[in-house]
Amino acid sequence: MELLSALSLGELALSFSRVPLFPVFDLSYFIVSILYLKYEPGAVELSRRHPMASWLCAMLHCFGSYILADLLLGEPLIDYFSNNSSILLASAVWYLIFFCPLDLFYKCVCFLPVKLIFVAMKEVVRVRKIAVGIHHAHHHYHHGWFVMIATGWVKGSGVALMSNFEQLLRGVWKPETNEILHMSFPTKASLYGAILFTLQQTRWLPVSKATLIFIFTMFMVSCKVFLTATHSHSSPFDALEGYICPVLFGAACGADHHQDNHGGSHGSGGPGPQHSAMPAKSKEELSEGSRKKKTKKAD
Amino acid sequence: MDFPWDDLALTFSHTSMFPFFDFAHYLVSVMAVKSQPGAVALAWKNPISSWFTAMLHCFGGGILSCLLLAEPPLKFLANNTNILLASSIWYITFFCPHDLVSQGYSHLPVQLLASGMKEVTRTWKIVGGVTHANSYYKNGLIVMIAIGWARGAGGAIVTNFERLVKGDWKPEGDEWLKMSYPSKVTLLGSIIFTFQHTQHLAISRHNLMFLYTIFIVAIKITMMTTQTSMTFAPFEDTLCRILFGWQPQFSSSEKKSEAKSPSSGTGSLASKPSDVASDNVKKKHTKKNE
Repeated sequence: MELLSALSLGELALSFSRVPLFPVFDLSYFIVSILYLKYEPGAVELSRRHPMASWLCAMLHCFGSYILADLLLGEPLIDYFSNNSSILLASAVWYLIFFCPLDLFYKCVCFLPVKLIFVAMKEVVRVRKIAVGIHHAHHHYHHGWFVMIATGWVKGSGVALMSNFEQLLRGVWKPETNEILHMSFPTKASLYGAILFTLQQTRWLPVSKATLIFIFTMFMVSCKVFLTATHSHSSPFDALEGYICPVLFGAACGADHHQDNHGGSHGSGGPGPQHSAMPAKSKEELSEGSRKKKTKKAD
Repeated sequence: MDFPWDDLALTFSHTSMFPFFDFAHYLVSVMAVKSQPGAVALAWKNPISSWFTAMLHCFGGGILSCLLLAEPPLKFLANNTNILLASSIWYITFFCPHDLVSQGYSHLPVQLLASGMKEVTRTWKIVGGVTHANSYYKNGLIVMIAIGWARGAGGAIVTNFERLVKGDWKPEGDEWLKMSYPSKVTLLGSIIFTFQHTQHLAISRHNLMFLYTIFIVAIKITMMTTQTSMTFAPFEDTLCRILFGWQPQFSSSEKKSEAKSPSSGTGSLASKPSDVASDNVKKKHTKKNE
């Protein structure tokens, strides 16, 4: 009985990992990506004034991961643009989301249950991209673990890592906000996923790739759907990081998380030398916190 | 299609760019560098940096297309003769005794000649870019258009990026996004040549090169002699209204604030001065970007 269930799970995972992505899943990936572009402040106005720049931004949102991975691996940056059908599909989605009469398309897509479906399908594409990216990097560098992790990470997190450049296209230049400083949940999850898939690729993780894709997809889909449904920006890794960071990086990192509540009282209790160092530090942390808030607003 | 000037066009399309047209291109580019505020002082203080900026202005399009196609971005340095030519032009422009070159260049006929010849190199670059991209991607229409555009007009992007990194320029909203006239005309040319290359356009290449070159040279010279800036505003306006103007609440406000000049320019004479003024401002932007 156990064998049977394991067999059917394996087969399920195998067939799941072979579902073609192109029309349906890619479509939902484009829809969600461009939807996030429309949420950015000023994006709608931009599309009216400079449709070309807006289109380019939309393309970056859809294909940023390929462009960045190509850049890292020294392949033509423009490689993916030879994929005419994908580009046309993404352009059509961009046009519908920004210029549909009465905003009908946008309203349909934004309807929460519909959006949840699209978000779930987007995560499927993300996990598959990570797996493909690591396979691709493995093909180039057989023992380059870090290359594999980096490529997978870049493939998974997509435009978030090049957000500064993407903002520059929209006429916003804020070098002080970038994704590496304040990683969002998808970026972190892509990083952890990339590590897992790299371990699997180098045979350190005794599971088949199809199974790993299946499990990780389930994890990502459930997390992301839950986060979208509750409109929360917190990530499931927060609790884990709260435990690990103080161990690995000392108390400073742990204090960073809880600084809003008892940063001041913490400083007053310390001994002499620490006491003198504390005010400067807490000021720095405060500015860090405000910056974080700004980033969230920008998101 | 058969044209009476077929032979002329054929000979014209076999013209080599190297000594004279390239010379004009480098001269115009370096003069553009020199017209930037603080460029001369920088050249005396830090010649290497100034030289590098000048090279970026001269070879920017090639660098961008190399980046896009994953070729070494420093490939342009391998072309020794062109580098030497451009460097010597940079040298005589900035360090000539009594500023002779700048004074010579300030005459309008010289400027017209140089700018016209520079436009000729633009055609050649677009064709080269489209052909080069086609050797990588047989069916990549978008790639061909993008590479042709990058070769022809990508220099503006590279130099703007260089200024951004140096910190003496910040993208203030529109300035970066507003496509200048050369960018637009290069995009148009790139699309035309791509369709010609994929046999969608029933015209031979040398004829198309001939016609397009005459078109851009004529427009450039008209623009320089009449001191106005030629834009595609009327076409763009109608096109935008067809494609993007379905939502009244945005398009009406946008038309009022942004695209004032094309709509009012056709109708009333009273708003003519403001129209010309805005054109002049636009032109300054264009020049800066070039």
